[in-house]
Amino acid sequence: MTDQEQPKTELESSTPLEQPGSTVTQVRTYKAKGRIAGMSIAVLAIWAALYIVASAIPALPVPGMAGMITLNAIMTAISGMILGPAAAIANAAGGIVSMILFPYGFSAGPLGFLTVTMGGLVAGLFMANKWVPAAIAEILIIGSWFVNPQSWQTGMWMVPLPYSAIALLVIVIKPVRDWVRNAIITQNKKTMWLAVFVMCMIGHAAEFLTTNTMVNWMFNLTWQYWVPTLPYWIMVDTVVILASTIVGVGVLVGLKKARLPLFPTTLEK
Amino acid sequence: MFSVSLKSRNSPLQKLDGRTKLIFLAVIFILVLLFTDLLYITALLALVLAAWFIAKLPTQPLKEMLQFFVWIAVIILVVQVFFYPGTTNLVHISKPVPAIGFSGYLTLEGILFGLAMVLRLVVIMIVAPLMVMTTPLPELMLALVKLKIPYKFAFIMTTALSLLPSIQNRSAIIQQAQLCRGISYDSGGKFITKLKASVSLLIPLILGAFRDSQTLEVAMNSRAFGAPIKRTFLLESRFTPVDILVIAGTFTLLTVGVMLRIRGFGVY
Repeated sequence: MTDQEQPKTELESSTPLEQPGSTVTQVRTYKAKGRIAGMSIAVLAIWAALYIVASAIPALPVPGMAGMITLNAIMTAISGMILGPAAAIANAAGGIVSMILFPYGFSAGPLGFLTVTMGGLVAGLFMANKWVPAAIAEILIIGSWFVNPQSWQTGMWMVPLPYSAIALLVIVIKPVRDWVRNAIITQNKKTMWLAVFVMCMIGHAAEFLTTNTMVNWMFNLTWQYWVPTLPYWIMVDTVVILASTIVGVGVLVGLKKARLPLFPTTLEK
Repeated sequence: MFSVSLKSRNSPLQKLDGRTKLIFLAVIFILVLLFTDLLYITALLALVLAAWFIAKLPTQPLKEMLQFFVWIAVIILVVQVFFYPGTTNLVHISKPVPAIGFSGYLTLEGILFGLAMVLRLVVIMIVAPLMVMTTPLPELMLALVKLKIPYKFAFIMTTALSLLPSIQNRSAIIQQAQLCRGISYDSGGKFITKLKASVSLLIPLILGAFRDSQTLEVAMNSRAFGAPIKRTFLLESRFTPVDILVIAGTFTLLTVGVMLRIRGFGVY
C-alpha cells in the first residue's frame, strides 16, 4: 500500500506538530484511548500536579476563611477554558491529592475537592458548547444553596446573585454564549480579555457557590454571617476573577504561540 | 503553607490497610455531619484523638491546625452564640435587636450549638491528616484503586504525585528567575505586587509543564496506555484479621449512629 492509498485514520496522539508531507490527519476524538473528554491524560496529570503545587503557594491573604487564597483558586477558574469538561477530572484529582497533602486549605474537609470539580465542570462544559449540561450543573449548584432552610432567611437569596446568577445567564443566552466562546477560540485581541473574564467568572462562581453551600450545610451559618460579609466576599471573588483573567489570557496566548495542546474546540462538530 | 506527611512508622494504625483507614475516614465524616449535639460530637472527637495517640503521632500538627482555623472557629462560634434561637437565657447583653435577629441574651442552646459546630470543624480537619500521617502515599493511592476508583483517574493522581518534585523544582527556578527581574515574592509586599508575582509565576509554570506533557504522552503511548489488559501492582494490599475487625467496628459505629439519628438522638 502506498502512502496515497493509506486511509485517513483517527490517531490517539495529540502531538500538535504534524509531520511534513504526512497524509495521516491527526484528529482528537472524544473517546480516544489515553484521553478523557477529548483531553490527553498526560495533560490532565500535569494539570493535577500543577494544581497541587499551586495549592501550596499562598497568593492573597483573606481574613475570615482558611487563612489564604492559594493559587489553586486561579487554576480552577481558568481550567475549564484550557482543558474543557475534562477540567473536572483534573481538578478533582489535584484537589484530592492537595487535600491529602495540605488538608488545611479545604474548609469543607474531605469533600473539599468537589468544589474545584464543579468549577472545572461548568466552565469546561460551557467551553465545549455543551450549554445544556452546563446550565443544569449551574442550576443544581444554585438550587443546592436554596435547598438548605438557612438560605430562606432574610437576604440569603443575595449570596448566589452577584456571580452565579450572571454565570447562569451567560450560559443560557445564546448570543452572549457564542460571543464569549468565539472571542476565546479566535483569540480576538479586542474582546478576548472580557471573554476570559466571563469564563473565569463562570468557573469561579461554580466553585465558590459550591463551597458556600457545603460550608453552610456543615456549620449552619446564618444570614447574620452571610449578608453583612457579602460585599467583602464579592470583592474577594472579583480579585480572584481578575487575577485569573490575567493568567488565563497569558496562558491561552502562550499555548497557542507554542503550539501546545489546548482543549479541542472542534469536538462539538 | 505547611503540609502533612508520613509521621507514624511503627504503630498499629500504620499497619492497617489503606482501605480500612479510608472507610474509617468516611464513616467519621458521615457521623460528624449527622449529629449536632455537643455530646455526640465530643465523643467522635475523643475517638479521633484516641486514634491519633494510638498512632503515636506528635501533637505539634494538632496545635498548628488549631492556629490555622482559629478565625473560622471564632466566626462559627460567634454566629451561633449570638444568633442561635435558644430558649434558656444565661447572660443579658442588651435590648433585643430584631433587625439583626439578636434576642439580647446569650442562651445555653446557642453556646452548646456553637461549641458543637466548632468541634465538628476540628473533627473534619484532623481526621484526614490522621490518615495521611499513618499511610505512605503509594499505599493510599493503591487503596483508592482497590476501592474501584477508575484506573485512569487513579493514574492521573499517581502521576501528578510523581511529577510533583519536578514541578516544585521548576516553580522554585521560575521564582528565582523572576526575582532577578525585580519581581518580589516577599510576603510583606503590597497586594498588587503579590498579584503580579502570582501572574509571573503561573504563566511560565503552566506553559513549561504543558510542554513536558508531550513527552509524557509519547511515553504513555509507547507503553500502550489504555490497552485492555489486567493491571498488576508493585505493592499489594490484603486485609488482615485486624483490618476486618476494625472495618466491622467502623460499620457497627455507623449503624448505631444512623439508628440513633433516625430515633431523634444527637440533634438539637
